[in-house]
Order: sequence, then structure tokens, then C-alpha cells
Amino acid sequence: MQAQILDIATSAAMLYAVAAGLLVIFGVMKIINFAHGAFLTLGGYCALLTTWAGISPWLAFPVAAIVGFIIGALVERFIVRPLYQRPLDAILATWGLGIILGQVITLIFGREVQFVQSPVQGTALVLDTDYSLYRLLLVPGAILVGVALAALLHGTRLGLAARAVIMNEALARGLGIDSDRVRSLTFGLGSALAALAGALITPLSSVDPAMGVPWLVNAFMLVMVAGRSLISLMVATVVLGGAQVLVSSYASPVLGGLTIAVLAAIILRIRPQGFARD
Amino acid sequence: MTDHADHAAESPAAGTVAPPRGLAPGTLAARHPVALGTLLALGAVNVAPLVIDTYSVNVLVRSFLYAAVALTVDLLWGYTGILTFGQSAFFGIGAYALGLAFTHIGLTPAVAVLALAGAVVVAAAVAALTGWLAFGYGVSPIYVSVVTLVLPIVATQLVFSGGTFTGSSSGLSGFDTFELDLEDWFRLAGCGLVLATAAAWLFVRSDAGRVLVAIRENEQRCTYLGLRTARIKIALMIACGIVAAIAGYGYAAYTDVVAPELTGFVFGTELVIWVALGGRGTLLGPVVGTILIDLTSAYLSGSLPFIWQLLLGVAFVLVIVALPRGLLPVLAAGGRRFAGAAAGTRAAVLPNLVPLVPTPTAAPADAGASATPALRLRGVTRRYGSLQVLHDISFTAHAGELLSIVGPNGAGKSSLMRCIADGHERTGGTVDIAGHPIGRRNPEACVAFGVGRKFQAASVFDTLTVAECLRLARMRHEPPSLWRRAKTLRLPVSALQVAQATGLLEHSGEEARHLSHGLKQALELAMVLALEPTVLLLDEPTAGLTRPERQTIGTILSALTRDSGMCVLLVEHDLDFVREISSRVVVLHQGKLALDGTVAEVVGSDLVRTIYSGETHALGDAHG
Amino acid sequence: MRYPMLAAGAVMVALGTAGPLPAQAADPIRIGVPVGLSGANSVVAPSVVQSAQLAIDEINAKGGVLGRSLELAVADDASGAAGAQKAFDSLIFQKKVDVLISMETSAARNAGLPIVGRGKVPYIYTSFYEGHSCSPYLYVDAWVPDQQVAPIVDYFQKEKGAKTFFLIGSDYAFGRGMLDFTREYIKKQGGQIVGEEYQPMDASDWTPVISKIRATNPDALVTSTAGGAPNVTLTKQLRAAGIKALYGNLAVDEGTAKNLGADAAGIVISASYLTSIDSPTNHAFAAALDKKFGSDLKTPNDLSVPEYEAVYLYAAALEKAGSTKADAVLAALPTVSVDGPRGSIRMDKQHHAPLTMYLGEVQGDGSVKVLKSFKDVDPGAQCPTLK
Repeated sequence: MQAQILDIATSAAMLYAVAAGLLVIFGVMKIINFAHGAFLTLGGYCALLTTWAGISPWLAFPVAAIVGFIIGALVERFIVRPLYQRPLDAILATWGLGIILGQVITLIFGREVQFVQSPVQGTALVLDTDYSLYRLLLVPGAILVGVALAALLHGTRLGLAARAVIMNEALARGLGIDSDRVRSLTFGLGSALAALAGALITPLSSVDPAMGVPWLVNAFMLVMVAGRSLISLMVATVVLGGAQVLVSSYASPVLGGLTIAVLAAIILRIRPQGFARD
Repeated sequence: MTDHADHAAESPAAGTVAPPRGLAPGTLAARHPVALGTLLALGAVNVAPLVIDTYSVNVLVRSFLYAAVALTVDLLWGYTGILTFGQSAFFGIGAYALGLAFTHIGLTPAVAVLALAGAVVVAAAVAALTGWLAFGYGVSPIYVSVVTLVLPIVATQLVFSGGTFTGSSSGLSGFDTFELDLEDWFRLAGCGLVLATAAAWLFVRSDAGRVLVAIRENEQRCTYLGLRTARIKIALMIACGIVAAIAGYGYAAYTDVVAPELTGFVFGTELVIWVALGGRGTLLGPVVGTILIDLTSAYLSGSLPFIWQLLLGVAFVLVIVALPRGLLPVLAAGGRRFAGAAAGTRAAVLPNLVPLVPTPTAAPADAGASATPALRLRGVTRRYGSLQVLHDISFTAHAGELLSIVGPNGAGKSSLMRCIADGHERTGGTVDIAGHPIGRRNPEACVAFGVGRKFQAASVFDTLTVAECLRLARMRHEPPSLWRRAKTLRLPVSALQVAQATGLLEHSGEEARHLSHGLKQALELAMVLALEPTVLLLDEPTAGLTRPERQTIGTILSALTRDSGMCVLLVEHDLDFVREISSRVVVLHQGKLALDGTVAEVVGSDLVRTIYSGETHALGDAHG
Repeated sequence: MRYPMLAAGAVMVALGTAGPLPAQAADPIRIGVPVGLSGANSVVAPSVVQSAQLAIDEINAKGGVLGRSLELAVADDASGAAGAQKAFDSLIFQKKVDVLISMETSAARNAGLPIVGRGKVPYIYTSFYEGHSCSPYLYVDAWVPDQQVAPIVDYFQKEKGAKTFFLIGSDYAFGRGMLDFTREYIKKQGGQIVGEEYQPMDASDWTPVISKIRATNPDALVTSTAGGAPNVTLTKQLRAAGIKALYGNLAVDEGTAKNLGADAAGIVISASYLTSIDSPTNHAFAAALDKKFGSDLKTPNDLSVPEYEAVYLYAAALEKAGSTKADAVLAALPTVSVDGPRGSIRMDKQHHAPLTMYLGEVQGDGSVKVLKSFKDVDPGAQCPTLK
């Protein structure tokens, strides 16, 4: 039972980290970035690079975030910008972009499954359970991501501009806010978060060119349910991630794998706005 | 009545059919281009295995089956605008139906037939469920993509959870399957693909097929033409699911392998990519595109696997961003010639417009008019959260009345119209159309009770021709053919009159987006009249029209109420226009019914003057 | 530190050498190797390709077979059924190979067999597997559960006193087949199964399974995942979760164990090949590999060595048959034997081979300490309908 509580907390943390970048982009730009999975993969390979270079595995996180940000901002400029009026096409174009990123990664790193070094080893005794220390550290890690994002949105000029664009873009433009720049930075930020999440999850499993795809689907579902709020995303990850852990433990891990998708579909059918307040 | 008909017959555009250009009349190609194309393709498919190498034959069988699924994606996404990632799930249903049956029961003719029947039934049921989930009232449009994304994931996980029954990650293989030569598989799959493509081709060009485009262009207008778009989309989904399942069945029979990848999300997205590259909404593009891409993949994946995938990815992004119509249409003929040919065929099938002979039930001008009011509102309210835009509105309107609703901006006029035409709109109260309470019914059902609604901004189908738009409006009364285009289009006299008087008839072969603003308004009005409504809701029908056009519309409306006993509700800003044609006027102010009387009473009242001069406190006095 | 670009380059060169030209008398004899360069097997596949390349080069250096040289054609089967279909189609019908010699997942093998039947080419399967895969075209030179499972279970029960067992597998023919055998064997020996869990082949998150292990607290784990990646993720997560039970792995090879580093310490394996086998042929083999691939060398292992020997078995069968014709080669295959790094190999038991098996324990540095060895273990009745 205690172990399950820890499983739920750490799974929710992982899902939160993975979905946050997608939510930021969806919230500000109303665009679903299907290259999100590829950015996760990119982050995983950044972690692999630090392993190869023999430097501290902690450096994987900033490296992944910076690489993600740069590539994300470029992508917004050249691929996403013409598609703001065609949201369905934006899904497809970003999916295509994901294919491109995946193939470039394959050309550089090879197609085989590879492994990265974990920044921390071993277990910690929590709630009477020997539990993976790295997984436990994901919980404060995800909280940190959430708090930093909230601070960015509510405490900085960029955040103010982004919120203005969310509420009323025409008005924001009228007030002299450069909404193109806001979008570029937002897409960069979302991509940076995705790459960071990729670097966060890889020490637990492995790196391969398709590693992001299963995460993309779950992140997409969570964001659909969460709407545009970081708080409702937290609720969504705990509720749906928790359901996944419980189904996995009491029914079967395989059925656990479809819990998030199915629950999200049901929730959205009954309540199209999901967990968002309106 | 008869002189209206004469007018229609005399009108030059109404009676003539433009001769098709470029095709000599009388040849097979002119009369049956689809039949000819199909025969040629069937011939090619039967000869091809004799001349191409074994490996290509081998791969092409698979490509043909994939192409059949791509065809269904094109119907759903390219034509109807439903972006689906889930057709792979139906393919998987077909494949696993065969794999499971042949593995666990064995290969006998009865099992083969039952497995196919099972595949069709399960695919249809899953498609119906998916459609029911995705196309419910008020469900957001992106939700269909969510559901079709969930579908392959559920399918794959179910396969995984099946253990040794489904073979889990291994899939099933090595079961006994049909003993056919490779060449025969090729002919079978090829003929199947050609026939499916021909059927789809006939369907999308038929009258019924235009509905798909209409849904993509403007689903709201469709529902207000009484078309049950959710049902149509579900039916399409079922048909497409069945075709995909049959293709999957063929795939399993041919390859002797079923694997979880066949049902997966990645395959679902690949199908969308092939369709996009081939050219969405062209049928032939996706089919040819899929075959070319799959064949090239088979040749290049050995030596250049990543470069090839990379090229595909780059091409896909370029197509989506810069060439939404796809590569093949552009490559095939050069954009302009392609478009020209398409326009030519459209012009060739311009129908004869003929007046509808009124049936005795159509317009009981005086009989029954007094018995039940055409429209009755009781205590209608509408809230948006804490904001109340309509307070306790009650009135009745009878056949033969032209009731104008006036009031300043924000008085709730348009909200009131919505509450009459859509049972989901109001927060409280009741609305009866000719004695039928609309309850919580959808706009389609309200149309069936006799409501016809014209929107404030002209709402038509941009890429359909005027004639096609009008035919869509008639579909509620005259079910369209699934495979051909009717040569005549019967319209109620009133609709024909509007079309004629405004000059719309001269443009009947033109796409609606090319029409002037006034003609678009006229077209929408004609479409609504083509519904033969008993209660006609007009939201500023003359906004943006010239004075003569307005005059014409006014005359027609007066005639409609007088002669055919329609009940017209008119929202209008132009008080002069209201005065000329109304038989009664209702004044709305701040969501409340402020006055209900004859033109003379309302125009003469102090209240109206006060409202329009902005002194709002007078209203409270009047009410009290 | 590893150099993947060079390894990828080596694979590309290998791919490039196979051309789809029509056969002529002096044409090379083409050996098709469908293998999981991507997906679960991708961790071990490069070592398999290296083995095949080495064997072919050695044979060619000695003048080839029947006056013709051998040529390698590699295709990626993505470790699964769908990919295998494409790989087999391409090798058999496009590249027109004379034989298939490959280590693959059981999913890929099963999907490929119907195509092999259609193309009528001999197929030597070089991966250990769950057994009972029978086809006139198929020969196997690696172990089956009848040869492999007993040593591990006996060791846990008799020497470590284990009473309760938890079984974990990848959900496909191999995982299920191995654990079916293991479960029955443990029950027969009086042990108790407290849990049995399967995850899809590509699963990388084992959290729910680990949670069940925690709940049942078994004395020993026996795992049988797809070779390669799942072994690594499962082991890492087991170790990270602090699971202390005895750990027997039916599917980990020495190369993968090396990859795992310290996490692999204590894993008990049962294999037909270990790098530490002290025989002249094994030393020569190791030296030749080292010379050919230098720093790109992948650790040879229980999946790559059978590939190497199978190429030699095929060459011997060709010499005996005197042609590449499938019927003749298939008839010759069970009659020839080679002396390889694993000892003398002959696939004469219903298309399978008796093998010397080693029970070993992985050490902290990735090497394997041999606990026991069993000479020429019989594969049992794998295919009673075949001779």
C-alpha cells in the first residue's frame, strides 16, 4: 500500500513533467504540438551525450533544456507560424516534424536502444519502503517545474505578455505586445520543458529514437483534460496517473497502459472542458 | 402559382444545360468516364503481374490493401474534415478476425466467411460507438481526433492483453490460409482496390457525396438545413470502418501474419501522411500516393532506411505548410489544368431547375392556421452563467403573420432566434412549433417541425456551386442518390422566385464563395425557403443589400406570408423596412419583451422612441 | 565510451555490399541476415552482424565455398513480426539470398517462416528460444528450455534454498514459452509460483510488476524478456527498487550484462557460450574478432556465437551438398558438424543441436563466473514429426 502511494506520486510527477511543455504551448498558442514526443527523445539523447562525454549526469538537464529551447524557437518560426489559422494542420505538421527529428537522431546516434547514466543510485527508505531514490527525486523535480512555470507566467514581463495573448490577442497587439515574439518564446519554452522531461525520464529506462511516442499520447490526453491551467494539469496527472497505477497493480499492467487514454476520452465526452473550471 | 412556374421556365439558366467542354458527346469517355477508367484500371491490374518482377508484385499486394484504407481516410478527412488517426484500428480488426479464427478454429470455408462477417460486424459496431462518442451535440471538434487516437491504442493494448490467445507482442502467424498464387493475390487485391476507388469516386461526385463537403465547409448550416450530420458522419465512419476491416482481412490472409503494429497509432498516422502527400480530397491522389510511397519504401528501406523516412517527413511537413492540396495534384497536371478540368465536369452536370408543384399538404394557408399557432413561446429565458440575456419571453405567432422583432443591439434578438431553432439553447420555458414542443432537440429536429433559419451573416457552402447548395437544402424532402447526380432540381416556387428576382439563377454553376455579398444572402434565403418551413426565422436578411435588392426581398416576404401562409419572424434594424412589410411587431429591450402590437401601435409608442433614443429607465415604468 | 557512428557506418557498409543482381555462376552465395537493428534486439544485434561478417570473411579468405565467395545481406526486422515480414520479403524475393542465418525474436521468426516456406530457402535460426518451432526449412543451433532452465532452478532450490518464485516475461512466444516450461519444472520440483507477469515486448516501465514483486516477496525471480533492451530496463529498475531476491535471467547474454555494469552483479544465467570458455577455438575466435573490429568490437555472446557457427555449418553443408539448391542443403545440414567456440555443434536432433551448457553468475565487472557446466545436453523432443 505504501509502495503504491509512492508509485502514484512518482508516476504523477513524471506525467506532470512530461505534459507541462505541451500544456504551455497549447495554452498560449492553442496549438497541439505533436512533435512533443520527438522533443522528449531529443532530451533523452542529450542525456546520452552527457553520459558519453563522461561529465556529470546532472548537466543533462540544463543541456536538454537549452537544446530544446533553441530548436523549438526555430521550429516555431519556420513551421508553426504559417499554421495558426489551421489548428488541425498544425497537429499534422508538428507530427511530421517529429518524424524528421527522429530520423535525424537515428542518423546521428544509430537506431539501437541505448542507456544513460543515472545522476543518483540506490534506494531510500520512505513510508517503510525501500524505494528508488531517483524516482522519489522526480516529485520535488516536477513541483519545481510547476512552481517555476507559475512564477514565469505571473511574475515576469514575458508571462504578462503571454497571458495577454491568451486572453485577447488583438487587444494585446494593440497594446504593443509583439505576439510573434511571445509565441516564439512560448514554443521554445514548451520544447525546452519537453526535452528536460525527456532527460528526466531516461535514467529510469532507455533511449531509442521512438521513445517519445507513447509519452506523447498520454501527455496529449492529459492536456486535453487539463485545459490551460497548471493546477488542473496537476489534478489530472494525479487522478489519471493514479488510476493507471491502480489498474496496473490490481488488474494488469497492459490494461494500465490504456487507462489514461480511455479515462480522458470518457471525461471529455461527459465534460468537454475537462478539469478546467470553464 | 402558374406564372411563377412560367418565369422559371423562361429563365435562361434554369432551363439549359451547358454542354461539357473537351469531351465529344456520344463517346464512351464522355458518357461513362468512370466506367472507362475502371475498365482500364482493371485491365492493367490483371496484366501487370505478368510483366513486373516478383518482389514488386509481392509488395504491391500489400500496397493495394493499404491504399484501400488510405481511401477511407481521404473520405473521412479529405472530404468530410474528420481528422482520424484510427483507421488502423479497423484494419487491425479485420486482420485479427482472420488470424484468430484461422489459428484457433482452423481454415474452412465456413470459418472464413464467418470471420469476415465477424470483422464487418465488429468494425461497424466500433465505428458506430466511435462516431457516437465523437459526434455528440456540443462535443468539441478536436474531440474526434482524441477518440480516434484512443481507438488504436485501446486496440493495441487489447491485443497485448490477449496473452497467447492473440499472441500479444508476437502476433499470430503460420496459420493455414487460402492457397492462392502470388499473381492471383495481386489481381484480387488490385481489382478490389479499383472497384472500391470507383465506388468512392461515384459516391463523392453524387448528390449525396456533396453532403460530405458541405459538412466540412459548414456543418452548422447543414444542421439548420435539417441534415442529421451526426448520423451522416457515423454512417460514413461505419462504411469506412468496414472497408478498412475488409482490407485488413485481406492483408492477414495474404501475409499469413497479424501483428500488433497493424492496429497501432503509428500506422494510423502513416495513413494520414500518405493521404496528405497524395492530395487530400482527391481520392486518386491518396490511392496512387500510397502505392508509390509503399513501393518505394520497400525498395529503399533496405539501403536508405533513414534517409527515406527523413525525406518523407520533410515532404509531409512541406505539403502541410505550403501545399495543402498535396503533391500529386501539383505534380500530375500543373495546378491550373487540374482545377480547370474539375470545374469543367462540375459545369457539365448543372441541373435543370424546375418549380415544385405544391402538394395539398404543403401550405394550408387558412386551414388549421387558427387552430394551433405556428409558434408559441412560454416563459423563455436564457442565461450565460450569471448573465441573463432573455427574461420570461412569451408570445405566439400564427401562419400568415410577418412578425418583426426589433430592439437595440444586445436586446437579445439573436438569442431569441437561437432559442427557437435549437432546443439546447434556452435555459427555461417552452417553445412549440406548430404544436410540437421542441424540448431539448437539436436544430435538425426543429427543422423537421418546420423551422427555417437564416443567419445574420450569410451562411452558405463556399466551395459548392449555387445549384449544389440549393440541392442540399432539398435533401430533407428528396433523399439524394448515392451514386449519381439528378438532372433536375425541384425547388418550391418561393425559393425559385428569390433566386430569379435577385439574379442568382445566372450564377447557378458558380461556387458560392465567388458570389457577391448580396447574392450570398439571396442564396441562403433561397436555401431556407427550399426547406418549405412553416416558421421562417430571418436574422437581418437585408443587411448589406442594395435598396432594390431589399425591395425585392420585401415583396417576396410579403407574398410568402400572404400566399403560402408561412409564419415569418424577422429581426431587423431598418425600421422603415419593418414598417413596410410587418403585420405585427415585438419590441425587445434588455432581454425583456417590452411591447407586442401592430405596426401602427409600436411605431407610434413613446416606449420605442425612448428605447431608441437610449433612455432606458422608461422601460421599467412601462412594464410596471 | 563508445563510438556509435563508426558502428553505424560498419552496418551501412555491410548493407551496401548486397546488391539485387541476377544470379550467375560466379556470383557470390548470398547469406541473408534479418536481425533487430532497431527495437528490443538492437542491443545485441550489432554483435550478431559482426559474427556473421567475421565468419564470412574467414571463409572467403580461404577461397570461399564451391568456388564462390559468400556475401552478407543484412535487413532490419525491427525486432517484431511486422518488420520481419518486410525484411524476409526483401531478402528472399528482392535480394534473392540463398540462405537465411539469423538471431531474431520469436515474433520475427514466426512471422518470417511462412515467407521462408513460400521462397523455399533454408533458414538457420541462431537464437536461443522457447522450442517446438518446426519447419522443413528451419534448423536451430542454439538452446531450448529443455537444455537451459533446469540448472538455474535447481541451483536456486537446492543450493540457495529458494521455495517461492516470481516469473516475469515479455509477452510473446519466447517469454511465454520459456516461462511455461519454467513454471511446470518448478512445480514438479516442489517449488511455489507466487506471481507471473508479462509486459509487451517494447515495455520499458516495470513499475507495476515491481510493485507486485514487493507485495509477494518471493525468494527468487526468474525472468525471460526479449533479448536486449527489456533486460536492461528491468534489471535497472529492479536494482533501483532495492529488490533483493535471487535473480535468474533466462535471456540475458554476456554482452548485455556488460552494458548493465554493476547492476548486473549477482544475476544467475545459464548459457551455451561464455567468453571465458577455455578452448583453442574460442581463443582464436576472440582474437580474430578483436583484430577485425578493434575498438568497435561488441562483446561476443550467447546470441552472436551461434550465428558465427551457423555460417560455418552452412558452408559445410554446401560442400557436402555440392550446390546451393535448397533440397540438397537441407538434407546435408543435420549431417555436418563444426568445431566452434562453443565446441562441436551438429543439428541432428530433430533439427536442433545438443549443447554444452554453463551455469554462471554475473560479477560486478560484467564478467561471468562459471558455477557449473553440463556436457552435451540433449534438446529433447522438439519436433517429433521431423527427423
